[in-house]
This record gives sequence, C-alpha cells and structure tokens, in this order.
Amino acid sequence: MNEQVRPVMLEQVSQAAKQPKPPLLSRRYALEIRQQLAWHWQAVIIGLALLLGLGISAAILVAAGVPAGELLNEFVVLTVFDAQSLKAVLFQASPMILVGLAGCMAFRAKFWNLGLEGQMIWGAIGATAISLFEVGPPALRLPLMLAAAISCGLAWALAPVVLKLRLKVNEIISTLMLNYLAINFLLHLLYGSWKDPRSSFPYSPQFQPFERLPELFDGISAAVPLAVVVALLALWFLGISRAGLYLRFVDANPRVAGAVGVPVQKMIIGTVLISGAMAGIAGFLVTAGQEGRLTQSFYQGYGFSGILIAFLARNNPVAALVVALLMAMLFVAGRSLQVFYQIPFSMVQLIQAILVICVASSDFFIRHRIRRVQGGES
Amino acid sequence: MSNLNAIQLSGVSKSFDGFMALSQADFTARWGEVHALLGENGAGKSSLMNIAAGLYAPESGSLLINDNAVRLSGPRDASRYHIGMVHQHFKLVKPFTVAENIQLALPEGPGNHAFSGSHRQRLAALEQRISDKAAELGFSIDPRKITESLSVAEQQRVEILKVLLAGARILILDEPTAVLTDGEAERLLETVRAFARQGAAVILVTHKMSDVKRFADRVTVMRGGRTIQTLDPQTVSVPELVRLTVGESAPASEYQPAIPGEVRLQVRDLRSTGAGGQGVLNGVNLSLRAGEIYGIAGVGGNGQSELANVLMGLPEPCDGTLELTGFGDLRRASAEQRRELRIAAIPADRYGAALAGELSVAENFGVGQVHSGRYGSFFRLRRKRLEAEAAEAVAGFDVQGVRSLKQKAALLSGGNAQKLVIAREFSRDPQLVLVHSPSRGLDVRATAAVHARLRAAREAGAAVLVISEDLDEVLALADRIGVMSGGRIVAEFDRPADRQAIGSAMVSHDEPGHAEPVAEGASHE
Amino acid sequence: MDMIANWLGNTPDFAVPFALAALGLILTERAGVLALGAEGQMLVGALAAIGAQLAYGSHGVSLLLAMGAAAVVSLLFALMVLVLRINQVIAGLALVFFCQGLTGLLGTLLDWTNKPVKGLAAVELWPLSELPLLGKLFVQNPLVFMTPLIVLAVVWFLTRTTTGLRLRAVGENPQAADAAGISVLGYRLVAILAGAALIGLAGGYISLLSTKLWIADMTGGRGWIAVALVIFARWSPWKALAGALLFGCIEALIPQLAAAGVRLPQYFVLMTPYAVTLAVMIWVASGKYSTGNQPGALGIPFIREERR
Repeated sequence: MNEQVRPVMLEQVSQAAKQPKPPLLSRRYALEIRQQLAWHWQAVIIGLALLLGLGISAAILVAAGVPAGELLNEFVVLTVFDAQSLKAVLFQASPMILVGLAGCMAFRAKFWNLGLEGQMIWGAIGATAISLFEVGPPALRLPLMLAAAISCGLAWALAPVVLKLRLKVNEIISTLMLNYLAINFLLHLLYGSWKDPRSSFPYSPQFQPFERLPELFDGISAAVPLAVVVALLALWFLGISRAGLYLRFVDANPRVAGAVGVPVQKMIIGTVLISGAMAGIAGFLVTAGQEGRLTQSFYQGYGFSGILIAFLARNNPVAALVVALLMAMLFVAGRSLQVFYQIPFSMVQLIQAILVICVASSDFFIRHRIRRVQGGES
Repeated sequence: MSNLNAIQLSGVSKSFDGFMALSQADFTARWGEVHALLGENGAGKSSLMNIAAGLYAPESGSLLINDNAVRLSGPRDASRYHIGMVHQHFKLVKPFTVAENIQLALPEGPGNHAFSGSHRQRLAALEQRISDKAAELGFSIDPRKITESLSVAEQQRVEILKVLLAGARILILDEPTAVLTDGEAERLLETVRAFARQGAAVILVTHKMSDVKRFADRVTVMRGGRTIQTLDPQTVSVPELVRLTVGESAPASEYQPAIPGEVRLQVRDLRSTGAGGQGVLNGVNLSLRAGEIYGIAGVGGNGQSELANVLMGLPEPCDGTLELTGFGDLRRASAEQRRELRIAAIPADRYGAALAGELSVAENFGVGQVHSGRYGSFFRLRRKRLEAEAAEAVAGFDVQGVRSLKQKAALLSGGNAQKLVIAREFSRDPQLVLVHSPSRGLDVRATAAVHARLRAAREAGAAVLVISEDLDEVLALADRIGVMSGGRIVAEFDRPADRQAIGSAMVSHDEPGHAEPVAEGASHE
Repeated sequence: MDMIANWLGNTPDFAVPFALAALGLILTERAGVLALGAEGQMLVGALAAIGAQLAYGSHGVSLLLAMGAAAVVSLLFALMVLVLRINQVIAGLALVFFCQGLTGLLGTLLDWTNKPVKGLAAVELWPLSELPLLGKLFVQNPLVFMTPLIVLAVVWFLTRTTTGLRLRAVGENPQAADAAGISVLGYRLVAILAGAALIGLAGGYISLLSTKLWIADMTGGRGWIAVALVIFARWSPWKALAGALLFGCIEALIPQLAAAGVRLPQYFVLMTPYAVTLAVMIWVASGKYSTGNQPGALGIPFIREERR
C-alpha cells in the first residue's frame, strides 16, 4: 500500500470535513407528494385561490379606472338583480354552457380541444347554409339547422383526434391551426358569396323569423332550455351510461383501462366528437339565437372560456353549469364596463387568465406537502 | 488496510411515505479496504448509500467522514468530501460524448470556470486526462465516442472515470456487476481492488456471494432495513452468508400435496432484448398445470417484470408463444377474451396496472364485467347491482378500510387494495391465475389472507403462477419452484425444496440445469 | 422577374420573427421546459416595442424593452412551472391568454393602438445589393442581418460552451445533471428568461419594424407556428432558420401574387401558413422523419424524486 498517498488523502478529506457549513444550508426541504386530500379541504383551497384571483382582478379594474365602490354594484347587483340583465346573462350563459361542456368532454378523454372556436364556426356555417339554401320546409328548418350545426362541429373535430391516435400529432397545434383555417374560411364566405347584398358589412343575410330561436315565456330565449337539455344529456352520458364509467377509467389511467377491457380508442374518438358537436351547437345558438345571421366575430372569447369553465369545474358537468353561469355574468358585466367605463373587452380575457393561474397554482398545495428534513444530525 | 474509518453511518433511519426503508442502520468503511454491503432487494442497501452520496436526507442518524460529523446538502456536497457513487442506473446523458459527460461532473474551479479558457480546449485537456486515467486503471476508452453507442460495461467505466476524475476517494458502487458478464465483472472488481490498495475506501453494494468472497475485505449484511452483521468473508461460508442474507426459513404452514392435472399454459421460448442488456428475457420455458402453484423465485431485475407483463397481456414486445390449452396463443387474446377465458391477473404495480386510484372501490371492482352487460346496458349502468355485488365481494374477501363503496380506491391500504384486485379477478372463478409480487408492501395478516386465496384457487383446480422476489413467499406457496436468473429459468425444484440450494441458484451464474447444492465451506465461483 | 426579386427581398421580413421566436423556444426547450406561451410572449414584446417607441423614439431602446418585457412576463411562467410544478401545457396556455388579455387591455388603455411609428431605415450591403434577382435580399433593416449572427451565437453557446453543455444535460437527463451537482431549476429559469427575451424580440420586430404599429392580437398565431417549427427543425437552430426562411417565403409570396394580378381567393391564401404548419406536423409525425433529438426530459417537471 502506498503509505505516502494515504496521509495526503486523509488530510484532504479531513480538511473538507472540518469546514463548517452555514446554517441555511444545513436543512433541506423535501417536497412530498400527498396521497389524498379530503374534498372539503380541496374546495377550501380552490375557494381561496378564486378569491385571490378575484381580488387581483378587482385591483386591476380599479387601476383601469373603475371606482372601487362600483365594482360590487356592476358585477353582482346589476347582473343578477336586474331583470333585464338577468335575461342577458341567461342568454349569454347558453352558449357558455355548451362550450364549457365541450371542454369538459374533451378533457375527460385527456384531449386538449383548443379548437372550440373553429368547431363553433363550422357549426354556425352549417346552420347558416341550411338557411341560405332554404333546405327543408319552414317547420323543420330550425331542427335541420341544429342538426347541421352538430354534424359540422363534429366533423371539424374528427381530424385532430384521429391524427392524435394514429400518428401522435400534438392536438394543441392541430386544433389551433384548424381554428385559423376556420376563421379564414368564415371571412372568405362573409366577404364573398355569403355576404348580405343589402349592406357593406361582412355578415350574411338575416335569418328568417322561423329560422331564429324563438323567445319563450317572459322573454327568455329557447336557447336556455336547449342548453339545459344538452347539459342533461351530458350528465346522462357521464354519470349514468356505461360509457361514463369507461371514460372515467380512460381519464384516470389509460393503461389500467386497456388492461380491464375498456375500448379506449373508441371512447376517446367518440368523446372528442361529442365535444366538437357541442361546440357546433354553441355556434348555432349564438348565430340563430343572438345574432340572427352569420357574423365575423361571434365566436370570440368562447374558445378560452370553454377551457376555463372545464378547468374550474374539474370536468364535472353540473359544476360546469354553475361556472358557465358565472362566466356569463362576467361577460355581461364586461360589456357594460366597456360601455360605461371604456374598459376594453380584453379585460375579461385577462380576468379569466388570472383565475386560471390562481386555481392552477392552488393545485400545488393540494398535491404537495412541504416537509423539513434534517441532514444527518446525530 | 488501515484501521481508520473513512466513512461511518450510525443509526440511520429513512422512510418513504410511511414505508420504513432503513431502521437504525449502521455502516462503517475503512480506508484501504473493499467493503461489501450485502443484501436482497429491498434490504435498504441502495437507500443507505444514496444517503452517503447526498441524494437522500436521513430522518435520523449521523454521518461521519474521517471521524468528523458532516451534513450533506446534496450530491455536489458529497463530491466535495471526495465521495463518489456509481449508481445502478447510470446517470449519463446518452447523446453526449464520454468527455462531455465527465465534464458535467467536474467541480467548478480554477481552469474550469464556465467562461475562462475555451470550452474546446478544456474538453481536449479533459480527453487527455480521461485516456490517461483509463490507461492507469487498465482499460482503454475513446473519450470522443457518444455515450449511447458504448456497451453497458463501457458506460459503467465512464461512470467510474467520472467519479474518479472528480476526486473521489470514497467510492461507492451500487450493484456494479449486475449488468456485466463474468469476465467484465472480474476485471472491474480487480480494478477497484487495486484502487483500494492505493488507500481509497471502496464500498461494493451487491447481492452476489461470489463477488463478496473473492474481492471483499469485509462484508456487512443488511436485511429489512437493518444491519445484521459485519464479518470477514474469508471466515464465513457461502451457506452461512446466504442464511444471513435471506433469513431463517419461516415455519412451514399446513401443506396439502398438490394433485396436478393437465397442462393449462405452456410458455415457449420467450425472448426479448432491452436496452443495455438488463431485464432481458433469454428463452423462458415453463408449463403451468391445473391444481398446482408454480413459484418463480429470483433476485429482482432478472426478467421477472417483463415475464409478468407478457403473461398478463400488458404491452411488452417479445418473441415466443403462450399456448393456452383449448385456445391457442394467449398473446393474441384481447382483454375481453381473457376475461371470458377466466384468466386472473394480479400485477405487481397495483395502481399502475390494476386499479385506477381516482375511481371508487365499486367501480374498480365492477369494470371488468361491465362490457358483458352484467351491470346494465349501454344506456344505463345499474349502479345498485354493481354496488351490491361489490359490497358482497368486499365482505367476502375481507377488504377492510372501506367506509363507503364510493370512496377512492387509492385510499385503501396496500393489503386491502390487493384484496380488492383479487376480489375482482376471482369473481369469475378463474382457471388460470397469474400473480406478481402479491405481498409487496403488505403486512403479515394481509399476506396470509392473500396466500389463503391463492391456495384456495389451487384447490379449486386453477393453475397458479406466483412470481415473487420474496423467497419466503415462494417457499410457502409453491408446489414447484423455478429459479429465474439472467432472463430464463435456470433451475427447477419440487417441494419440499432445499432453501440453500435455491438461494445458491438465485445468486449463481451457472448454466441452466446445473444448480448444485453447495457443500459446507467450499467457495463458490 | 421583378416579382421574384421583390419576393426574395420581402422574405427576410417575414422570416425573422419566426427565426427569433424559434431560437427562443429552442433555448427553453433544450433545457427541458415545454414553452407553449410563445404566442403570448410575442404579443408582450410587440406591445412593449411600440409603447417604448412612442415614448422614447429610439429603436434600440424599444427593442431592448421588448425583450425585457417578455422576460418579465416569463417570470410568471417560471413561477408556475418551476416552483409550483403546474402542468407545463396548462401553464403555457394560461400564459398565452394572460398576455392576450393584458396586451389587449394595455394597448387600448394607454392609447397605443393604431399609432404608426417610424421603422428602421434599410441598410444596403454593397456590393451584394447590386446583384440581379438576389440584390434586394441584401437591402434590409439591421435586425435582419443580425439574425443569422444571433443564430450563430445560440449555436455556439449550446455546442461550444460548458454552460451550454450543462443546459443540454438539464434537458436530456435532469437526474444525471442533478447528480453531477448542476442546479436544474437554476438553469431552467435562465433558459426560460433568455428564451422569452428572444421571443419578445421577435414580437418587437413584427410590430416595430414590420407592421410599424400595434393592433390587438397582431401576431396572428405566429407564436404557435414557431412551436411547430421547432419540432419540425428537431430542436436545431440552423434547421429552425431554414424552416423560418421557408415560412417567410410562403408568407412573402402572398402579397406578391396579388400584386402580380394572380387572382386567388384572398382568405384561402391567408390560410397557407396554418395549413402548411398542419401539413408539416403530420409529415413529422408520420415517422418518415425521425423526431430523434427531442430533449429527453421535455415537459417533465423535476423534483429530486425520492423513490423507493
């Protein structure tokens, strides 16, 4: 053995060992993943996150020129307690519910459907085509428009999901690109062959009265019950039918799902198509309900809203109903802010993003526990 | 060999999410010695060494380097104290060259700062150092080769060079010979022994008796997270070492002899290649007979997981066939068909392959039968019936901790989760039962319950296969035992089986069919 | 032939934002962080550049502020992804929508919308600018000529410096990097900031030097196309530059064809970049074109995982 090497080596190591470590580094924090947190605690954490998000949004609104006292007034009082506003909220809520459900559906199949706007557009195009080409007798016109909207929205979602399953093409990019294609096609139609000859604006000719969603009692549009019906169907699909259980397995653990006999591919494709169909219906609702014609920017804001609703509602259809209603309130309030305080509508988008960020951040506290770990002290 | 302690771990405890990996473990290595750390999988050897190398932080206990108390804040810190660890799973960046990988690990210092001198120049100088060091150690390596293109043995040499060039004087090697051929292993161990003779401390984490006997100056045996004994390998026989490592035989429970019937499943020549040679199947052949439990014993990492995946129909690319009597090649069956054929599969990874943790107990129980219409049509899932049958099964299979059938499956303790899986799989009175590590993470009572179920299945005439790294379990359950090593069955034993013979077969590298009982006192090559 | 000369001359103007954005994405993604927030960071850079120009009138300052603003916004992303370990896809999407809302809001509130600014004078690279057909290629604003240099700098950094080596290690195998003592989170943070700065510069180019004003949502999906471009380019800066030139050619062709009197449906022509992106994604995924080179640990959050 090399006697000369040993003392030198020992010396080196002893030197290193004798240097004191600064106390800050002597403790380590370990990030532990929690197994489970009781749902009421989860709700508390998410609630706190939402409050934080709303607080930040309020601060921004005040900085943008809305008097603080007016905020509560605008957002809560006027939107809910004023009959006129309430109708507007319900009306706005209908397409919101649909895109929210569409988002929920797609996410349950672990599919990022960012193409909600494109699917809405195609739904609206389909419905408008029925109107423009006068397909079917007047009595059937509206149902045909609805059917067309469903088919077109569904078809526009087919390519991304098949591409994902067969070729593993990232669906975020594919659905977004399809959005842009749809938007441009819409403009092509509206500035081209579908343009209303009586005006210079880029929209289609007005729908005939029987081609519009009627108003039911007390001024509430038929869009509302339609949205509710779709929501109930979604509830049936997810909660009562056999497919719902399959989908839950696919969402929770695709590997286990495959191993226990769930038809994973069929479930994913079917669910995404349903998502597209719902977005198509949303397009129909806005076009045949609110606008009464095909316009160039009716879809704006719905894409992200749908995703946000699904995210906040944790893909639960009942929660999505509630969140969609709140989102509709936000939209209506946003419009009135635009009118009275000249705050641009992108404020709404900002608030939505802040809420998403806060809720997403809260997930950290749900999933992790921070533990202090000693570093080898005797 | 000196009498000075290089590194000393005392009273170290560590748990992971409730599981005690280490319980007051002690370990000491001296300068100039090769010290083997011996134990089975799960004994705690790797965890203990990961603490020594700064990757884990212990919950209690102390670490002394050269008799100075030290707290490690991370791997960089350990490197400062001249501790270097070569891990079982190499920490190499595959697309980088050898020199680049080593460059990563070198500490910042004069001449190595990010912006002083050109990177190319430093790499070139490093390449020279690498070649020199390698020559010193007796092998050659091209520092410019891409790491991915190197053989496993060569990659391991890169890991060793990495820690040596970073100045390691306390060298920890975690299962280094597991991925090497006998010849390569020999050379490696000779190299590290020479390094120790130069004054360094070398710690060899291993489960191989032959390595211990031939190269270690001292050996410490660990079992169940505890240090059992430290001794001189020259003064102890291999059987004695085996006994210390695997423990005393558990008292045998009542045993009824098996009445094996026809062959249910014939496994023919399963072969697959993985990256780097680990976990490869090298021609597995075995037959499962009705009314018999066939146990596969062996140290983990010899292909058991891959075999289990193939048998259970999980995705696992390989060649070979599984002939199911009366059906054909089982590999062609869908999950639906497997259920029709009454094949029960209980995988090792409960929450990765058997249960969806986020879903309820009832749902996890019933999902297998849903497609057949047992619980309602497509339009309406008859939850009441599902829950009723789930409740029955939960009671019948003694799944505890179920306050409500709607609660998440993830909340069940390991034992109860396993019972739930068994409840589901056994609900159709299986003819073939495939089980992998059934009592992993289970306490004694749960283990007994699971074993009772498996025996009951055997009594009912099913063919049962149990793959387990727990030799006690295999000995308790199996009518026939196959020892798996190196990706194939190297020996088969009938009950009553000689524990020592099995233990030896598990750790040997003998040719298949030549597992010999080891005589007292003989050294085992 | 004049048309071709003009077309080539206009190509760099369209190609530069793609190239810069792709570079920024490459830096971030090579460190293992999936950067889907590019569209948002581009918008922030675009707005900041216009705002700074309206306030200070100096192009250099404006572009620097564009880079800075995007980097500041990316701190939010870094917080979400590195500290809170939020799913990188969600964090990226949230960032995009946040930036879209923020820029839309500020653009209107601060009255920066639709206010034209002066661009940078073109620089002639004589004598190359006298070449027939290719001449116009060498009469561009200074940032165009700087772009290949920036690409070179990024390539040099990644392949010829130790820091670059460490960054790549962090992206390929963070466990190995961590065991080697490299601060995974530290490197990722710097990668996110640097990447965002380049993406902000791309946005600043679009608003300040190309269009010379600000309109809400003016990047029109270019950030997303850049994300696809990086996949197409297999995370290699030179290939990304080539891809950016390709897209630049396509985009530059559109006005040229119109000017030449070729009658194509306007909106179909506008669809081209998106359709090409989709086609490229499909081609890449169909396997005839290996996506080897994807940073090994892309998109996976890093915790020094203590497993059994």
